Amino acid sequence: MASIASPAIDNTIDIPGRRTPLVLGNQTYASVTHMVARISEEAQPAIWWIAFAIAFPLMLMFGGLIGYLILTGVGVWGNMSPVFWGWPIVNFVFWVGIGHAGTLISAILFLFRQNWRTSINRAAEAMTIFAVICAGTFPGIHVGRAWLAFWLTPYPSLNLWMWPQFRSPLLWDVFAVGTYASVSLIFWYMGMIPDLASFRDRSKNKWRRMVYGLLCLGWSGSSRHWMRYEKAYVILSALATPLVLSVHTVVSFDFAVSQLPGWHTTIFPPYFVAGAIFSGFAMVLTLLIPVRAIYNLKDLITPRHLDNMCKIILATGSMVGLAYTTEFFMAWYSQNPYEFFTFWNRAFGPYWWAYWIMFSCNVITPQLFWFRVFRTNTVIMWVVTIFVNIGMWFERFVICCTSLSRDFLPSSWGYFSPTWVDIGMLVGSFGLFTTLFLLFCRFLPIIAISEIKWTISQHAHSEHRYKHGHEHH
Amino acid sequence: MSDHAKPKKTPKPPKAHGWMAEYADDNQLLDAARKVKDSGYTRIDAFTPFAVHGIDEAIGIKPTALPWFTLCAGFAGLTVALTMEYWMNAVDYPYIISGKPYASWPAFIPVAFELTVLFSAFTTVFAMLGLNGLPRFSSPFFSNPKFDRTTDDRFFLWIGSSDKYFNSEKVQSLLTSTGALSVEEVREDDSPSDIPKPIIFAIIAGILVTLIPGAIVLNMRNAKSGESRLHVFFDMDFQPSRHTQTSTAMFADGRVQRPPVPGTVARGELGATDPYTLGYDPSQTVSTDSATAAAKLVSFQQDGEVAGDESKGAEASETPAVEPSETEPTDAEGVAAEEVTADPGAQPAADEAAPAAAAGVPNYAWLTELPVEANGELFELGRHKFEQHCALCHGYGGYGNGLVAQRAAELAQGYWLQPANLHDQAIEEQPVGRIYYTITHGKGKMGSYAASLTPEERWAVVAYVKALQRSQNAQPSDIPTRGDIAQ
Repeated sequence: MASIASPAIDNTIDIPGRRTPLVLGNQTYASVTHMVARISEEAQPAIWWIAFAIAFPLMLMFGGLIGYLILTGVGVWGNMSPVFWGWPIVNFVFWVGIGHAGTLISAILFLFRQNWRTSINRAAEAMTIFAVICAGTFPGIHVGRAWLAFWLTPYPSLNLWMWPQFRSPLLWDVFAVGTYASVSLIFWYMGMIPDLASFRDRSKNKWRRMVYGLLCLGWSGSSRHWMRYEKAYVILSALATPLVLSVHTVVSFDFAVSQLPGWHTTIFPPYFVAGAIFSGFAMVLTLLIPVRAIYNLKDLITPRHLDNMCKIILATGSMVGLAYTTEFFMAWYSQNPYEFFTFWNRAFGPYWWAYWIMFSCNVITPQLFWFRVFRTNTVIMWVVTIFVNIGMWFERFVICCTSLSRDFLPSSWGYFSPTWVDIGMLVGSFGLFTTLFLLFCRFLPIIAISEIKWTISQHAHSEHRYKHGHEHH
Repeated sequence: MSDHAKPKKTPKPPKAHGWMAEYADDNQLLDAARKVKDSGYTRIDAFTPFAVHGIDEAIGIKPTALPWFTLCAGFAGLTVALTMEYWMNAVDYPYIISGKPYASWPAFIPVAFELTVLFSAFTTVFAMLGLNGLPRFSSPFFSNPKFDRTTDDRFFLWIGSSDKYFNSEKVQSLLTSTGALSVEEVREDDSPSDIPKPIIFAIIAGILVTLIPGAIVLNMRNAKSGESRLHVFFDMDFQPSRHTQTSTAMFADGRVQRPPVPGTVARGELGATDPYTLGYDPSQTVSTDSATAAAKLVSFQQDGEVAGDESKGAEASETPAVEPSETEPTDAEGVAAEEVTADPGAQPAADEAAPAAAAGVPNYAWLTELPVEANGELFELGRHKFEQHCALCHGYGGYGNGLVAQRAAELAQGYWLQPANLHDQAIEEQPVGRIYYTITHGKGKMGSYAASLTPEERWAVVAYVKALQRSQNAQPSDIPTRGDIAQ
């Protein structure tokens, strides 16, 4: 793409008195449209096909394992007394946590006027939807008789003659995750409508034009439409902000409302939410670092975006570390022998390895991001995000399995061992997630085109005012 | 859709929809919009690739009522959630969970919050689309290829022909004077707005096809059928196990009910082959039918097969499981015979004269020695249990003159059988196993004490009875000499 030769700007450094550009390379409105739309118009690069060839069979394997589970029974998992919440719930909480970054970026950063969100919000929202799909699968099949999972909904049943129990955190979870999934989906879709119209208007092919025309609902770009659209976006952001905080809070209630040492604690809601944002941002970076390299989007997803995300990972990772140490403090301060034993057992009991994987990945590795050199090196950044992903999975494993495996009665202690189905389902859920993300890259606008154009316009205005102001002095 | 235009329609030029001007920049658009608005036009709109800030005042767009929709939906969601939770958990299906009240309002908050957000969010999006008139797949602007760039890098300003000051030439010149890249007339889209018939047919056909499964289900629900129900997944009450008294091809004998697996011990029959619990040695008892059966039982329970018959398998192994119960040694006839031969009121020597077999007591290989160590502890236990269970009838001394017997004699009822005098010669001569058997199974009016006394306690009682007999029939020579004591 021909662009006017521009000096290499390092936009991770703030220029006093001037607005730091969020888009590099002297982009125009047309060049932004082209840069994003070409991804779905041109043939996909070889690496896309390689990734798809790996992810798609894994997704099929996931489906096959679910079929095997349904036909055989939950005994194919390693869930065994006393650890009845094994990997399926670990995976559920892991994926739901990852699904927090998208709506956080779209909603909370929008309300805080963080304009750098515009380059990453679309992909992050898509990631949210796909992560929630993976997450929702696990409790759905964990109910045992998965074909009766619809009993969770309050519907007038001819067979049961009874209603769900609204005092149970598990039912709150159904509503929280269900609301979050559907609201995130509609928020994501609404955000895509103007960009789908861009895709429609660039289409050379009649069928492509028709499909994108249907998807964008006939968007014309009328100012009246934009006005209501913007209003709806603000309202949705205001609604989604408490929603995103409520979801992992309710997920943490699944644990915190029980009586089990290690679960029964008031620190869980903020601790879970911080962990969710932490893991979600890590996953966004894990996905976007390759995406910006493969699709050559380095001018739109700039070092400044990555730098900002690293800072959020550092902040939330430290919050998670604070939560870990607070738990230990409370275990000692409460003088409750069961509570104290649980935490001692987590760190030095049979699952010590899981605890220290969790601690080192989540608390120690993000500390690298105190240094600018690590926040600007994409390779190191990517490796750190992988560690964070691993660490956050282990956090859920530690919470779920260590507390259950050793509770009040030493006679009923046990040790959880996963089966090959457990491992296959975790790997398969990554296959499902990756397949959906690859299809998203292939068919949908992966960057919010219209919002980027708005930031370009804003930047032009601020530069204009800056120059104008100088002339007056 | 224009392919489906009817040929008979006269090619009349479409009605004018207004004029649109094209700009390359949002600043130019804003300047032009202000100018147009200042000229008095009200039917104006702008079309932009992104939400241009300031355009609302520039063309005079009124604020939207959208937030009110959200607010109403939020209240509706909250009300629906709280009503639903209260009605379902406190009215229609009340039950106590964790000691909480039926209407646990704090516990209802999470779902109420989620439904508030759910209702508001969906209403916001759909109200936005509805107020915008979307989806709308045709527009007068879409017929102009230039307009495609409105979602790319061009900004359009439109003055509608329905404006009360609308004059085609004046509007054109006004727009041209704003520095537009191009100024073009917009004509109404005259392509037919009807949905093409093939699409309508396809939609109707699709709806009909989706109705078929529901129709089948409805028909099945109302029709009667002899066929069993189709179960994709079995419910828990629906199990593939066979009913009793039916046959199966799974086993050689075709029977659904299976014999106990070899080595099975029935409840309460633990040690059924052990002389310690029987009082006799079943392996040496082969002289009677019942004894043969007992031997078979021993063989079956130890080896899983009938002795000498290894080929028949499962079917044959049924046989011994039935026979032992028939040959229960305390069979009713025997007891009856004993009662008849006993002479009421007379000294209880009736059965002493009759042979043991005739009295219904089988001729077993009785144990003649205590199978337990006879020590002071055992005798003390035996005394305790004897006085607890036996002395009421047999008397503390064993003469058959316990309190019950004395009272019965006072009442002088004819049917009372005098309890046995344990010092009768016949009883004294009985081997210990025989006495044990009597305690275990009862005799005559005396019931079984198997439920009250463990085998160990029974043997203790036997030892005590033997000691009692010996004490009541002692000879001077039984008295130990000083030398014996010294030893």
